Amino acid sequence: MTREELLGIVEAVLDSARVPDVVAAITEDRTAAVRFGQNRITQNMDRFERKLRITLGDGERKSVYTTHRIDLDAVPDILSKAMEMLRTSSPDPEYMPPVDAGQVYPAVDSWVPGTAELDPGGRTGAAALAINTAGAREMEASGLVGTGWGATALGTSTGNLAFHRSTQAFMRLTLDSGCASSYRFLFSEDWEDLPVEETILQVADEVEADRDQRELEHGEYRLLLEPQAVADLVPFIAWSMNARPADEGLTVFSGRLGEKVTGNDFTLYSQVHGDLKGEPFSEEGLAAKDVTWIENGSLRAQPCTRYWAGETGREPLFIPGTLGVSGGEGSMRDLVRNVSGRALLFRRFWYIRFVDQKELSLTGMTRDGVFLVEDGRILHPVKDFRWNWKPLDLFSGIEMLGTPESKGRIIAPAMAIGPVEL
Amino acid sequence: MIDDMRELAGRVVGQLRHRKVDYGDARVENTDLESLTMRKQRLEEAELRTERGVGVRVLVDGCWGFASCSGFDAGEVENTVDRAVAVARAGADAIPGSVRLSEEAPCTGHYDGPCTRDPFEVPRSEKLDLMSRAADLMHISDLITMSWTSLRFERKRRVLGSTEGTLVSSDLVFSMPVLNAYAVENDDMQSRGLQDGARIAGWEWIEEADLIMWAEKAREEAVMKVRAEEGPTGDMDLVLDGTHLSLTMHESVGHPTESDRVLGWEASMAGRTFLGIDDQEKLRYGSEMVNFIADNTLPYGVASWGWDDDGVPGQKWYTVRDGIFQQFGSVRETALLVGRRRSTGCCRAQDFASFPINRQPNFYLQPGEDGVSDDDLIADVKKGIYIEGRGSFSIDQRRINFQFGGDMFWEIRDGRKVRPLKKVIYRSRTRDFWGACDGIADSGYFRTMGLLTCGKGEPMQAARMTHGASTSRFRNIEVGRGAE
Repeated sequence: MTREELLGIVEAVLDSARVPDVVAAITEDRTAAVRFGQNRITQNMDRFERKLRITLGDGERKSVYTTHRIDLDAVPDILSKAMEMLRTSSPDPEYMPPVDAGQVYPAVDSWVPGTAELDPGGRTGAAALAINTAGAREMEASGLVGTGWGATALGTSTGNLAFHRSTQAFMRLTLDSGCASSYRFLFSEDWEDLPVEETILQVADEVEADRDQRELEHGEYRLLLEPQAVADLVPFIAWSMNARPADEGLTVFSGRLGEKVTGNDFTLYSQVHGDLKGEPFSEEGLAAKDVTWIENGSLRAQPCTRYWAGETGREPLFIPGTLGVSGGEGSMRDLVRNVSGRALLFRRFWYIRFVDQKELSLTGMTRDGVFLVEDGRILHPVKDFRWNWKPLDLFSGIEMLGTPESKGRIIAPAMAIGPVEL
Repeated sequence: MIDDMRELAGRVVGQLRHRKVDYGDARVENTDLESLTMRKQRLEEAELRTERGVGVRVLVDGCWGFASCSGFDAGEVENTVDRAVAVARAGADAIPGSVRLSEEAPCTGHYDGPCTRDPFEVPRSEKLDLMSRAADLMHISDLITMSWTSLRFERKRRVLGSTEGTLVSSDLVFSMPVLNAYAVENDDMQSRGLQDGARIAGWEWIEEADLIMWAEKAREEAVMKVRAEEGPTGDMDLVLDGTHLSLTMHESVGHPTESDRVLGWEASMAGRTFLGIDDQEKLRYGSEMVNFIADNTLPYGVASWGWDDDGVPGQKWYTVRDGIFQQFGSVRETALLVGRRRSTGCCRAQDFASFPINRQPNFYLQPGEDGVSDDDLIADVKKGIYIEGRGSFSIDQRRINFQFGGDMFWEIRDGRKVRPLKKVIYRSRTRDFWGACDGIADSGYFRTMGLLTCGKGEPMQAARMTHGASTSRFRNIEVGRGAE
């Protein structure tokens, strides 16, 4: 549907609802992707979904109704379903009306027409290149390559109307020789920006370098994290930052607003329109903004609902879908060259889970490349192993930072971290 | 509604035949969902959802194509058929297709999952009253700083039609209660909760799960846990209850025995498996008392759909028998590739918008001989830990090296449970762990867990399956503490 058609249905819902408080949002999502494994295409898909979400409130109670039935004729029936849910809900002591009128939504330019309309041949061609390259080098290729777009039209009974659309292009690639592997995740709003061929060749070279893995010897090592490995850890910090659970004593950030939570070299932020392109508004229509959550190691801000913000005198804030870790200058190769003593280089982590939420302690595995580094030289690959770490402790020992790289909605630098006992 | 959906599926199959695809199927789905969630004693969310749409899968020159649309609009559905054919052709143009499906006789019929009392007919006031009483009970203690109580009901109507002549439908009601209490004291937080998960059942499952009993138990044990000491470390015996083992077996038996993993189709995401195709019917997986039975006919099992998304009927088989690995769970496309003539019926998609892939079936650890209780297992442990419920979990991509926590821990000393513990984790390797099993309680101690959110595939899909076990004992397992 066009922008006007989507907003037209949103306005029809707002006009027809017989309750004071309404938020209506329609989302459209199209994803077309080719999945491959064992050097063959295993899936080739083109998915489309359109969904309407209505939140109704009568000043005391609220309810949510979501449906795939979307057309102007269906609006009365949809509203009657939502009203029935509202009538039978219980009063909410934390009831909040929709966001105030006059929200100013940042303009986020993340729509690339060529990506939205990419021919299926572009995707299958990229998959075929990965498969053929792998086959020629006695490897197996697996991964996903795709493009897609999303659009959201939102309105509130307080008078806000918003529309946003974005495109995405992505490739996840693993090449595996049976005894060695490597991986890369590429992401951009623009298909043309993905360095598909160059990356496939690089990853194949990395697999060659990963052969003859040896067991890790116990001892003390500096840690060299590739940007993907940093990006794998960062969401666990973000998920723990919310103000209310912290205030209730449930997380590691309890009572620590304004305090040091990591070393000086760690800064975590969200951006709406810059190197990172986020969502300009929340599900309830609150305008997004750039926020620095942890600045030079100090906890500066926490995501906070409107209700809890009112109770505690904070500003209501949410993560607009993006996270950035500030970096320095230089490549992973520079960090390797400059690290002193013995270090381990990690390509990415796998199956990370909380061990203890209150401590923010995590466990996980290494995957697709661990290398022993000594005095600036990669000596040999190391077999995958399990680790148990606290990321806030890790990020308290940062010794060097590389240039940040985009890893989907996360931008992160390579990192060198001070000695850790393994 | 099912009749209309069957008619729509039949129409799509006609369009597929007209386009002369080598194979094609249409999945027509309608899902109604009610979700009620209390944060502490307040209704945080009351949500209804109606999700419906059509997924079309085709084979053209040995290459898959799949397309989906939400809603049942005739024009959009026919456009979806064309999109599926177009992407299949693009794939075949790029890489020679090689898909072959195992033989399967076309099926027709309808399956209604068990449901005694339709949860959508239960007054909302009755649901909210039950949740409020449970939440109030948890918050009797001031140490309970937070709690979640939720009820989730889903009615999934699905129809599958194929160009081979299959036309099957099912009408399934899923019910799931969840309850968790969080105790905070001395700068620590510990939780305890009801983790039996979902069943294909109606309101009767909510009554059987007994939220009121669980609210009392969760409160008392969360407080006990936050005040408990951390446990001993080192090698010792473990006695694990059924809800705990349900997750351990999911990760270390269910995933490694999926056929798409041995073929490398998940190598970039969920990972591979340590098993090889030639390990079927040969490799020792566990001790002789270890029998894993897969069963997609288990009445309340959340993977019992009548037929899978290949149109293959639900089946029952041994995954591990007398400790020996028997066979992979498979779909029609992988069965031939792992040396089987027929699929085990493990092809399922998250929803109409997802391409169906190889998923775990319902499966369980066969209970021990009659007359063996969990106390009998504990009585023969000099130094060990008894673990109930799920906690932290992680395993490597080949499914060998794992670490698990739990929801409640008790120290065992000289054959008795002596005190509660917290922050216990254990580590092992899959075959070592199942090889260390030397005691399984009888069927009276059998507990199940119905999972709705097993993540796999790209784009990620959530799948559902039920696991079960009786309390079991494992010798000399490495036990640690938190992040140490």
